[in-house]
This record gives sequence, C-alpha cells and structure tokens, in this order.
Amino acid sequence: MNQGPASQTILVVGGGIAGITAAVEAAETGYEVILLEQSPALGGRVSAFSRYFPKLCHPTCGLEINYQRIRKNPRIKVITMAKVESLSGQAGDYTVLVKTKPRYVNEKCTACGDCAKATDVRVSNSFNYGMDKVSAAYLPHEHAYPQKFVIAPEVIDTPDADNIKAACKYGAVDLDDTESVFELKIGAVIWATGWKPYDATKITPYSYGASPDIINNLEMERLAAHDGPTGGKILRPSNGEPAKRVALIQCAGSRDTNHLPYCSRICCLGSMKHAVYVREQYTDAVVDIYYIDIRAHDRLEAFYRRVSADPQVNFIKSKPGHVEIEEDGTPVVCGEDTISREVYARSYDLVVLALGMEPSALTDTDAPHMGSRDDYGFIVPLPGDEPGLSSAGVAGGPLDVSMSVQSATAAALSAIQAVRKATAQSGALE
Amino acid sequence: MAVSSDTSQKYDLGFARWVYQNVKGGDKLSMCMQCGACSGSCPIGTEMDHGPRKLIMMVRAGMKEAVFQSNTLWNCTSCYRCTVRCPRGIPVTHVVQGLAAKAVALGYASEVDTARFAHSFWWSVTHFGRTDERLVTAKYYFSFGFIAGIKKSLDNLKIALGMVMKGRMHVGLPHKVSDNKGLRAILEKATEIEMRDKQGGAES
Repeated sequence: MNQGPASQTILVVGGGIAGITAAVEAAETGYEVILLEQSPALGGRVSAFSRYFPKLCHPTCGLEINYQRIRKNPRIKVITMAKVESLSGQAGDYTVLVKTKPRYVNEKCTACGDCAKATDVRVSNSFNYGMDKVSAAYLPHEHAYPQKFVIAPEVIDTPDADNIKAACKYGAVDLDDTESVFELKIGAVIWATGWKPYDATKITPYSYGASPDIINNLEMERLAAHDGPTGGKILRPSNGEPAKRVALIQCAGSRDTNHLPYCSRICCLGSMKHAVYVREQYTDAVVDIYYIDIRAHDRLEAFYRRVSADPQVNFIKSKPGHVEIEEDGTPVVCGEDTISREVYARSYDLVVLALGMEPSALTDTDAPHMGSRDDYGFIVPLPGDEPGLSSAGVAGGPLDVSMSVQSATAAALSAIQAVRKATAQSGALE
Repeated sequence: MAVSSDTSQKYDLGFARWVYQNVKGGDKLSMCMQCGACSGSCPIGTEMDHGPRKLIMMVRAGMKEAVFQSNTLWNCTSCYRCTVRCPRGIPVTHVVQGLAAKAVALGYASEVDTARFAHSFWWSVTHFGRTDERLVTAKYYFSFGFIAGIKKSLDNLKIALGMVMKGRMHVGLPHKVSDNKGLRAILEKATEIEMRDKQGGAES
C-alpha cells in the first residue's frame, strides 16, 4: 500500500450551508480544507431564503457566524465560480481537476459599487430566480461572501466593460481574467452539491408558466425577502397588487410516481412559513394550504399548531387536480376536498407550488465520479464502499437546514477518518 | 361470489380482497393514499355520487352494495385523466370500468339508467356496426317498459323533430357497416378469446 505520502487535504464541493459546515468542522479539527463553490458567493439556497422555520429567524445570522469562522481560519481556502471537472484515485490520493470561470474582478474589490453605476446593461438576477434584473457589474447579493463584485460575461468585449473598468478606483477590474483549469491533490471529498427545485413545467396540470401568478416556493421566499424583487412585499407578479387570496399547493411533483416519488420533507413546513409571511403582511388575507398529509415531525408540530390556530389559514386535505387560468389570467385551483367531498374551483391572487427537491448533480451529464447514488440520484456512498467519498446535506437526500448541518458534521468526521486511515496505511503517520 | 340481497349487511370484509383479485387493476388499490387527485381531476366529478377516490375507500371498507349501486361506475367517460394524474400509478379508469363490468355480471346494473343506456348502445353497435340515434334512444326508453317508453318518446319528440329539421338526426333506414357478417365474426371471436382468457385464469 506504500504509494508515497497521502494527502490529508479535504475537498468540500458546494458552498451552501452543508458545505460551509463540513468545511468549518474539518478545518477547526486541524485539517486543511478546500471549499469549492460554483456560483460567485457562498450561502447556497439558504442565503436566498427570507427566513427559517420554525423560529422564523433570518438565515443571514447563521451564515454570518460561519463566514466569520471561515475568515478566521487559515486552513480553509475558498474557491468560487469553480466546478470539479474530474476525479480519480482513492482515499488519501485523489487527483481532482477543477475548472474556474472568470469573475473579471480581483481581490482588490471593496464592494463600493461604482462599477455597477458605470453601465446601463441589465442582466437577469439569478439570486432572485430571474424575477428582476441587476447591473452587469453586480454583487451577487447584499450578504455575499466574498464581498466582491462580478462582471457578467454579457458585457465583456463591449464598450461597457471599459466603462466599468474605468469607474473602479481600486484597479479591481481585470478584463483579461480567463477560465482556468488546475489540479488538486486531495485526501477525501465531501460532496455538498445540494439541490434544485423540481422543474414545475413538467407538472402540466398545475399550469406553471401559463400565468405569472403561479409561482414556486423558492420564488415565494424571494417575494417575502427584504432584498427580493418587491422589497419584501408579497405582490401579484401580474399586476403588482397585494396577494391576499393565496393558495399553497403541497407535493407539487413530490410523492408522485409521475414525478419525484419521494417526500422532500421541507415543503410542508416551508409552506406553513409562507402562510405566516402572507398573514403578517395583510390582516385580511386568506391562505388555503392544499395537502395530502401534513408532515411536521417532532418539535415542528408546534409550528403546525401555531399556524393552524389562525382562522384565516385553511388546511384543505386535497391534492388539487389542476389549476385553470381564467380569461383575465386569474389562476383557479380545481380539485376535491377529501373531507367534505366537495368538488371545488376557487380563484386566487397567487398560487404557490411547493416543489420538491431534486439532487443538483442529477442532470449534470459531465458530472465527475461522486460515489454511489440511490435510485433518485442522491449521493449515498455506502459504508466501506469508497471511504474517501461522502456527502453532506441535500446532496445525500432531502433534509431541512438543521438536519443538513448535522449531516455535514457527520460527513466531516467520515472524511477525517478516511484521510487518517489512508495516511496510516501509506506509512507516513506514526 | 353469490350476490347477497341482504342490504343490512353493509360491510363485506372479504370484498376488498375479492376486488384486488378479480377486478382489472384492483391489485393496485392498496396503493391509494386518498389524495383526491382523481376525483378533483374528473371532468364530470360533480355528477358523481362518490367519485373515484371515495369509491376506492368504499371498496377497501367492504361496502360492496354501495359500491355496485354507485353511479360513479356509470358516469365515467373514460377520459383517463385520473389514471394519468394518479401519483401512485393506480389505473383508476380500469378499476372503475372493471367494477362496472362486475356490477353487470352480478345483476346490479339493471336498475341503473346509465347501464341501461350503455346496454342499448352496445345493442346498436353489435347489430349494425353503427350507433343509430333513434334506435339507441328507442331501445333505451322502452327498456323501462312499454308505457314508460311511449311516454319518454313523446316527451322528447320536440327535440327529435328539431334535430331532424337541423339535419342532426338521420331519417330513413339505419346506418350499417358494409360487412355486417364480418363484424359479427369479429365480435364472436372477441367473445371467444375473452371467455378463454377468463377460464385460463388471466385478469378479468
């Protein structure tokens, strides 16, 4: 087994809440960690939430603490806009090829924002799921870590790029920045590649895309967020009027053999949180939650009791058959109330589809080898299968934030065990 | 299975199992999670006494008499929306139609209007290879008895005349397929295959 000194460096792929946690835990235990993130800032899905359930606190709080831990720890190296191209080898001796996209902004950036004012070009704002636009020179979002601007590739090689460069007082704009590919020697890999919402257009009866007033649960988070497209006001995307009759449809694409056969675990609580968002804003609002079963386990049941005590939030035991669109664009939810046997057709200001979670890496055709996957594409390396590969957070299966953090700590421990064992076997230790 | 005429016996505890084993698609009924997507998707759900979701629950509860007397069996238009949308892959349309077929076989259907109509329709198809509006309606009306038939016919005479005037109803000899003998042979063969499959223990 003597193949030279083994690497003890742990690579964490994905800089969401799970990846951040795994990186911080491993680094604070004394290991070198490289944290890769494919977008320009850490924080992942969590940073785009308005608030957490069940306490309804703001995610920026928990993330900020973690960013401090990263900043203070010399053992963590964060690489943004990076993707793993390929992986080969074994525990203690992986060769990982990483590819980074150009940011066109270097470490001198102070996030002053002068560059953003130097161009009129607007690009789709991916942080708000394309619901609004931002300047082509943009900060990913107000709590972005690292606090560095990004220049959209759309303006590169145009006069606007030169204006942006000229506006920067710090010499932080680097228009010659290019894609780069480099190799890393790694001891163990933690996949924290997270999730994406199920494609709502595949659920044709629910008419997503046929009316701007039919949105998904992630877009609802942005509508409620103070830094979202509406400044935190829950307004109808069609006409900007307050959304006071709101339908929340559970299991949109989940627990469904036509779509995702599994339960995504978070949507029930997420939608109850959305009901609270609406009711906090409008005293006369009515929210109808259409569900198969409410899955609020253990302590989360207290949140269910709290929300169901509101007489203007109705829990309707029914999986709607379809959503029709009236001539004026109003969405109408149609189905059968399974308790009263009433066949209903009700119109709403806003319909929110609680989409399930799909593993991000699922449809990535050029994804590297990541270890064993389950039937649904989640990465669940079997014990002893490939000790150097583990998964954290939703990369391994649907979890809420607190469970993701727990799984990340577990993954950090697996990675540490893997590199220690590999080092012992290679004879470099002891 | 013998038909019980004792309607006071509301729950037949062996009924669900019998449906699982004897009705096409019935073996999937245990998968139902009562979400209501089928009844909510049904284009004529408001015309049904129970709707497919409740019917499935009634099967599982052993409410044999109520299931076979339900108009849900007969109001199904076979649009297959329920089957397509069922999140558990239950062939709801097949189950409903399978139960309707059993209702006929067990003698429950004679009292159901929709079943009478279906019977008249089938009669026209087997005899002419076509449905003739006049013959189907006449056969249906007179299935209620001679006097009732005359009365129902007179009640609808105005509609019939209106349809004739607008060219929406055919006057003259009934439409027929050109090879009526061939059609008969096809139907006889189909019946023969159906009987053989039943005896062979295949899905009924």
